[in-house]
Amino acid sequence: MISITESPIDVFKVLMEVQDRSAGATTVFTGSIRDHNDKGTVSELYYEAYKEMAEEILVEIENEVIKRWHVKKFIAIHRTGNLKVSDISVAVAVSSEHRKEAFEACRYGIDSIKSRVPIWKKEVSELGTLWTDGVLVNHD
Amino acid sequence: MTKKESDLAITVKLFASSREIIGKDKIRLKLTDQMTTVGDLRKAILELYPSLHSSKVHFAIAVNHKVATDTTALNHLDEVALLPPISGG
Repeated sequence: MISITESPIDVFKVLMEVQDRSAGATTVFTGSIRDHNDKGTVSELYYEAYKEMAEEILVEIENEVIKRWHVKKFIAIHRTGNLKVSDISVAVAVSSEHRKEAFEACRYGIDSIKSRVPIWKKEVSELGTLWTDGVLVNHD
Repeated sequence: MTKKESDLAITVKLFASSREIIGKDKIRLKLTDQMTTVGDLRKAILELYPSLHSSKVHFAIAVNHKVATDTTALNHLDEVALLPPISGG
């Protein structure tokens, strides 16, 4: 299950939904808003997504994870809009038979989101409001 | 039946820094004999919007939700978007 949403991410709900009777391991990763960057204090963040493309790529990542690690369930949710310090911006959860696949697949999920999904963040800090330096997406 | 000129234009969606620099969330460009590929489109956008060029924001171009190369051919029905460096997570 994947989603790009303006609604707050309910981690407990994610944890419940990723459970599977045949799974012995579950991993949940959450990314949240830090109160600083390398230049100073951050008060809030704004996330923008190219929603249609972002959802398609999240589905691709989900399919890759299921194929490679044979996970039972995979969840990836990314928030958009204005977020405050400590708000959760992203959650990735995996259930699998054993912990090795659960850890690896979860790591692959969040790393792929950061390198492939068209989402941008703008930081409000002491220096003003600036789009964060990011990575240029590559052709496959 | 000949097509109206407007039929042979392409809409380009803009996001994040590219949207703010250009000041619109989409632009429309005519497809001509000189503009048939993503590389041609990139060149035309940088010429039309020098502010994008001077801001040194690099961008990828997506065609129908896939990251394209400069040799990717364009069709007026394609969904095209400029993708500045991404920073999700």
